[in-house]
Amino acid sequence: MTRKKSTATRRAESQAAAARASEIRKAQERQERRRRTLVVTAVGVAVLAIVLVLGYLVQSSRDTTGRAATVPAGAVGGYAVPAGPASAPVTVVVYEDFMCPYCGQFEAATRSTLQKKVDAGKVRLEYHVLNFLDRSSTTDYSTRSANALAVVLDTSGPTVAKKFHDLLYEHQPQEGSAGLSDAQLVDYAVQAGAPRAAVQTGVKNRTYEQWVKNVTDQASKDGVNGTPTVKIDGRTVAYQTLPELAAKVEKAVG
Amino acid sequence: MNDVQLFGVGVGLLARVLVGTVWVVAGVLKLPAPEDNVRVVRAYHLLPEGIVPVVGHGLPVLEILVGLCLLLGLLTRVAAVLSALLLLAFAIGVGSAWARGLSIECGCFGGGAGPAANAQAKYPWEIARDLGLLLLSAWLVGRPRTPWATDNRLLPVLAATETETRAS
Repeated sequence: MTRKKSTATRRAESQAAAARASEIRKAQERQERRRRTLVVTAVGVAVLAIVLVLGYLVQSSRDTTGRAATVPAGAVGGYAVPAGPASAPVTVVVYEDFMCPYCGQFEAATRSTLQKKVDAGKVRLEYHVLNFLDRSSTTDYSTRSANALAVVLDTSGPTVAKKFHDLLYEHQPQEGSAGLSDAQLVDYAVQAGAPRAAVQTGVKNRTYEQWVKNVTDQASKDGVNGTPTVKIDGRTVAYQTLPELAAKVEKAVG
Repeated sequence: MNDVQLFGVGVGLLARVLVGTVWVVAGVLKLPAPEDNVRVVRAYHLLPEGIVPVVGHGLPVLEILVGLCLLLGLLTRVAAVLSALLLLAFAIGVGSAWARGLSIECGCFGGGAGPAANAQAKYPWEIARDLGLLLLSAWLVGRPRTPWATDNRLLPVLAATETETRAS
């Protein structure tokens, strides 16, 4: 047994020590890299979360849906433009957008039948006029026309409003166009029997714009995802094609 | 760099650019009409009414953020996980609308809530698109390191990917 280590042993020991030190250093570096990744990721995620919340708040504040609105006099249930007596045996609720071409086709196909039934007191019509196709015209025609209908209902009552509604569908503008101008809307209102001065202000100021938004929102809450949607005595009429819808409606009002 | 590595880098870059662009476009198109998004979300009849507006208002912003992160290569792995989860949720949403026989617009790129002509015929394509983007996102979850990424300046290279990146 000798206390003196051989040169070879000493070299081996110092190599082993160096290797251990290098291992520890590498482990520390790994840990440091991992820590840095975590910190950078956490900070990044926190910043993104703040931006997300800010963006959400901006979007939320831009959506005025559901805010208190002036309801036009004569609107039934707060949201609908009526035609015909409330006591009629059949109630037909129609969800439309003045810009929607299928609604125009539906109106053209069922107008005369429904009008006869309404005049005979057999059918009560309730129109929910929506604005969700605003981006299908260059001038928010859906909102402007629905607002105009509310103005006419408020100033001149449901009979004139129904006439105005029919006139707008008879002169329905092309999808994607500018739609009828405010002046044209006023002219048709006058043609339907509304006083020009009263209608002019309401059309220009979009008095019922918020109401139209709320009507649209309520329709969505009632499960209406497209137009035309027709509910007869509370039941939605299922259809694939427009002639099918028209036929089913005409049959139901019999 | 050998062919396999080159392929990996190509797929990673493609995934970032393609998925990132789709998210940014989808989000930006939805920004102008917050009320439309709320109605689109509601039309799926999957979420309780209480959180429908929150999702409708927040989702476009989240989409843009995820898209920008992918394009910039910033927090790529986090963004890719979010991207994959969102796409999975969308595919499930569209699939369930299809299964329930709903005729609704996807609303994936704004608009929507309109009359959904041929909705039933569009559903399979929408799901296929979502799944394709989901695969690309999943690739980035597994291999978030790509060239021309902000991550390369911010995040240290982890041991596991060290050799790989050095080789590239």
